[in-house]
Amino acid sequence: MISVIDSIGLSVIKTVIMVRDFVVLTLRTLVYTFTPPFRVSDIFKQLYFVINESAPIVIFCVCSAAAVTIIESSFHMKIIIQNDALVPGFAALLILRELGAVVSALLVTSRVGAGIAAEVGTMQITEQIDALKMLGINPIRFLVVPRLIASVIGGVVLSILANLVCLYVAMLVSQYKLGHSAGSFIVAMRAFVSMQDLYFAAIKGACFGFVIPLVSCYFGFRCKAGAEGVGLATTNSVVTISISIITIDFILSWIFSYFY
Amino acid sequence: MSDAQVQFINVIKSFGDRTILKGISFEAKQGEILFILGTSGTGKSVLLKNLVGLLRPDTGEIWVDGEEVSQISEEKYFDIRKKCGMVFQHPALFDSLTVFENVAFGVRKHYDYPEEKIKEIVKKCLKLVHLDDVEEKLPQDISYGMQKRVSLARTVAISPKILLFDEPTTGLDPVTTNAVNQLILDLSKTLKTTSLVVSHDMHCALAIADRIIVLDKGNIVDQGTPAELKASKHPLVKEFLMEATTHA
Ligand SMILES: Nc1ncnc2c1ncn2[C@@H]1O[C@H](COP(=O)(O)OP(=O)(O)O)[C@@H](O)[C@H]1O
Ligand SMILES: [Mg+2]
Repeated sequence: MISVIDSIGLSVIKTVIMVRDFVVLTLRTLVYTFTPPFRVSDIFKQLYFVINESAPIVIFCVCSAAAVTIIESSFHMKIIIQNDALVPGFAALLILRELGAVVSALLVTSRVGAGIAAEVGTMQITEQIDALKMLGINPIRFLVVPRLIASVIGGVVLSILANLVCLYVAMLVSQYKLGHSAGSFIVAMRAFVSMQDLYFAAIKGACFGFVIPLVSCYFGFRCKAGAEGVGLATTNSVVTISISIITIDFILSWIFSYFY
Repeated sequence: MSDAQVQFINVIKSFGDRTILKGISFEAKQGEILFILGTSGTGKSVLLKNLVGLLRPDTGEIWVDGEEVSQISEEKYFDIRKKCGMVFQHPALFDSLTVFENVAFGVRKHYDYPEEKIKEIVKKCLKLVHLDDVEEKLPQDISYGMQKRVSLARTVAISPKILLFDEPTTGLDPVTTNAVNQLILDLSKTLKTTSLVVSHDMHCALAIADRIIVLDKGNIVDQGTPAELKASKHPLVKEFLMEATTHA
């Protein structure tokens, strides 16, 4: 019994310490983000990495998601109310408010988040981070800041891209599979969603983009020696980021609901 | 405070409930080559990292060039690290930079030299470690032994007063090992660089060390000049000596 309480207590303490360290990392990163020197070329390099790595899979997955969403909702609506005229509206709502931003963020996590954790973790265990410090370089400024800025910008761009592609594919599917005309799709869509929804999706993209590199770098910096160390850092960051994205999505959707 | 350039006074360092350094005291004078011998996992790397603030001791004092550094801020360590070049156990080269840029990296950061001068320094340092024609290559395109030598060149390039070597010759062939030993010797004789060399190679230690410290399970078990150590009665030291003579 005692040992159960002990181990619960221990893991609570460990979690508190981890959260504290993460908050410290976040605050320091923010301070360095807004103070010179700015590493502009690094930011562009990272931005290219984020978009180039993720855009193809984001577009591919979002196309499938769009097709499934619209066909499924049409199928069910036809069963219930024998009419799927409202489907474009519902599908657009679902895409803009949830699907576009979340699906693209989860895909970015699997590419970029895992990539950063493995990269920083490898640098940690091969003493490259120590070497940076020895040569007078602050690893947070050098590694975390450019990735953070690139990932926030990339998050916004990819979220908007994913939403637009998703809507376009939904329209094509409804046109060729369900027999709605493009015009009627757009009219039905406009009744449910507005430009504001796209802005909110962009904000979500920015928030998800903010979390991804911070969590990945956090686990990368704590990476333990050995090949398992890097694997563990990667897995831990992907799991943590995915949970965070779902949680943040819930919180943001709840906040945004006051504006609709 | 004695005339030592590097001094540890009763340094203790633990990770969780494992105490790695159990009260280490030693000193190194300017220009001296001090070898720190020990089997792997005894905390040799931890000892060096405490000196340059990559790890901080739990208790004890660490003096570098007349300054107590164990509690100073990360910002203040910038100047200490400029004085102390460290060659890591891993080559620790930056993967995304060419060999030239790796060596130039610290020089650019620490000094405000024109490009011409930087080129000259990089060339000179690569020559010191017997490397040429690799400047434009990436670290992953050259052999492990070459990477270790580039990392040596990178450290020497900022002309530190104190050089720390973490197993500089582990994994190198005998010819390169000799070249590296010769380099350590030359730097200490010509530039009066103080060198702390972590190693488990008694053969190298006997060849170039001024003094040797033997570390075991977090304690210093014996120390002295090579001649003194050869007469040591400590079983671990004897074992190291056996190794050295069979290799020679
Ligand atoms: N950052 C760290 N966190 C926890 N344990 C560590 C850390 N660094 C080293 N150790 C432990 O300290 C011991 C000594 O390590 P090290 O100094 O690398 O040995 P060596 O003498 O081979 O260089 C090892 O058991 C290692 O697991
Ligand atoms: Mg070591």
